[in-house]
Amino acid sequence: MTVTIGHTADQRTPSRADGPAVRLTGIGKTFGTGATAVTALRDVSLTVRPGEFVCLLGASGCGKSTLLNLVAGLDRPTTGELALATGRPSFMFQEPALLPWLDAGRNVELPLRLNGVGRGARRQRAGELLELVRLEGQGGKRPHELSGGMRQRVALARALAATTSPDESAEGGGAGSGLLLMDEPFAALDAITRDVLQGELLRVWQATGTTVLFVTHDVREALRLAQRVVLLSSRPGTVVGEWDVEHGSGHDLHDEITASLREVITRHAA
Amino acid sequence: MPPELTGVDAAHDQPAPAESANGAVRLDDAAAALAGLDALDTPTVSRAPWWRRALAVGLPPLVAVLLFVAVWQALWAAAFWPEFKLPAPVTVWREFLSVVRDGSVWSILWTSISRAFLGFFIALVIATPLGLLVAKVRVVRAAIGPLLSGLQSLPSVAWVPAAVLWFGLTNSTIYFVVLLGSIPSIANGLVAGIDQIPPILPRVGQVLGARGLTGARHILLPAALPGYLAGCKQGWAFSWRSLMAAEIIAAGPLLGIGLGAYLEEGSNLNNMPKVIAAIFLILIVGIGIELLVFHPVERRVLRARGLALAT
Repeated sequence: MTVTIGHTADQRTPSRADGPAVRLTGIGKTFGTGATAVTALRDVSLTVRPGEFVCLLGASGCGKSTLLNLVAGLDRPTTGELALATGRPSFMFQEPALLPWLDAGRNVELPLRLNGVGRGARRQRAGELLELVRLEGQGGKRPHELSGGMRQRVALARALAATTSPDESAEGGGAGSGLLLMDEPFAALDAITRDVLQGELLRVWQATGTTVLFVTHDVREALRLAQRVVLLSSRPGTVVGEWDVEHGSGHDLHDEITASLREVITRHAA
Repeated sequence: MPPELTGVDAAHDQPAPAESANGAVRLDDAAAALAGLDALDTPTVSRAPWWRRALAVGLPPLVAVLLFVAVWQALWAAAFWPEFKLPAPVTVWREFLSVVRDGSVWSILWTSISRAFLGFFIALVIATPLGLLVAKVRVVRAAIGPLLSGLQSLPSVAWVPAAVLWFGLTNSTIYFVVLLGSIPSIANGLVAGIDQIPPILPRVGQVLGARGLTGARHILLPAALPGYLAGCKQGWAFSWRSLMAAEIIAAGPLLGIGLGAYLEEGSNLNNMPKVIAAIFLILIVGIGIELLVFHPVERRVLRARGLALAT
């Protein structure tokens, strides 16, 4: 099944010209060879516009993480083509994965440091990003002195440091403002924190104009966050449905997507 | 959908904090909810005042030492054993004072401690790249990994006869034995430290673009630091203990008088107070280095990572 590019212009983002931020064409990924080979992804085609927020939704075994790894360049697809308009995308995991020997500020600085940004510039940038995630003044704290939600926000700031640059975080950043890959980043948080952080992520996304590819198990989360929800089937993973989210149509869409998801899952009941 | 805690549809609203009439920044609802959550969730750590911590750390060992001396004194007073086997604590103390007064204790200590330190630092320089290789290169691990662990269980005193035959009664013999005692411990500590790194951290390094040596410097080595430090601590203990073994067995004019030779001298003269004073000196140096060097470093490293909060 092939998915075409942005059918309807979405009102939620300032329209951005240029090509897609991410274009996957007929992506397939097989692990191993011969009888033991496992096909994780088959013929996945997907296009993400610059600045768009797309949720990949699917049950276990739909190859969501494999797909993100491919986009992140951590792995190579077996078949198909992958094109990114941005440089190295940044990644957020289910756990904050902060380096425990660095304080929050230095964790945010790390990607800048690895890119050879000078000390003064990176300190300033880290300060700005911490302020963006509402952690101003907390840069001197160690990860273990922060709560789970705060750690995940530091991780968000670090991911933004890796993929955006200061001048692009202004209004309507365009294709240059980076790509953020998120692998169920809120799944390990308690319900209240998750709820608050979803709101925070939307605010930060609006403020930075970053393109987001967000993987989740949760239909409700996908509907709350995404402009577009893409449903993947399981084993092998392939795109089986796609919905543009317009706010207000929440309930119907929720039921519709849940029904499709149920269909995908029940297919595996032997 | 039901309303969300912080207003989902905040996505459509203006997210920035609003300015209130008097110019001060007023937190909007989402920010307030977040600030409240942060305040509730942040782990709190309360610490006892310094004198109480010092008391808790210092008092138990002091009491233990006093008890030990008291028992020793009682055993001596009961005269179970002849005087030349168990001297009185005060006799040993006098022997100790005599070497302190004539100043020979400093040269004895310096001879041994400088050797142990030099040996330990050479061992560090050799063992660190060795440990990295064993941890990260599969072939190297398969080839010498077991040997490295095996060497750790081989008492390095077993090398002394061979070393004496190879190098004679020189400093080379001493350093050879010290190195063979401490290198396996340090290298094994580093290997264990690297093996215990949570797999997520190298992945973070990968997605941030830290590969090869940059990755080792920014991710691998700092992440392995606690294990590495434990290895260094053990490596120091092994190098100190190997040094004593070497000094006791290999005595000669070229070697000078270290703690081991001092002990051996006491033994040759049937001078029990001297022997016991030497043993205590060896113990005190070992404990002193541990307390003055390794313990503070290790505690700092662990505390910075939120491990070992108690002490």
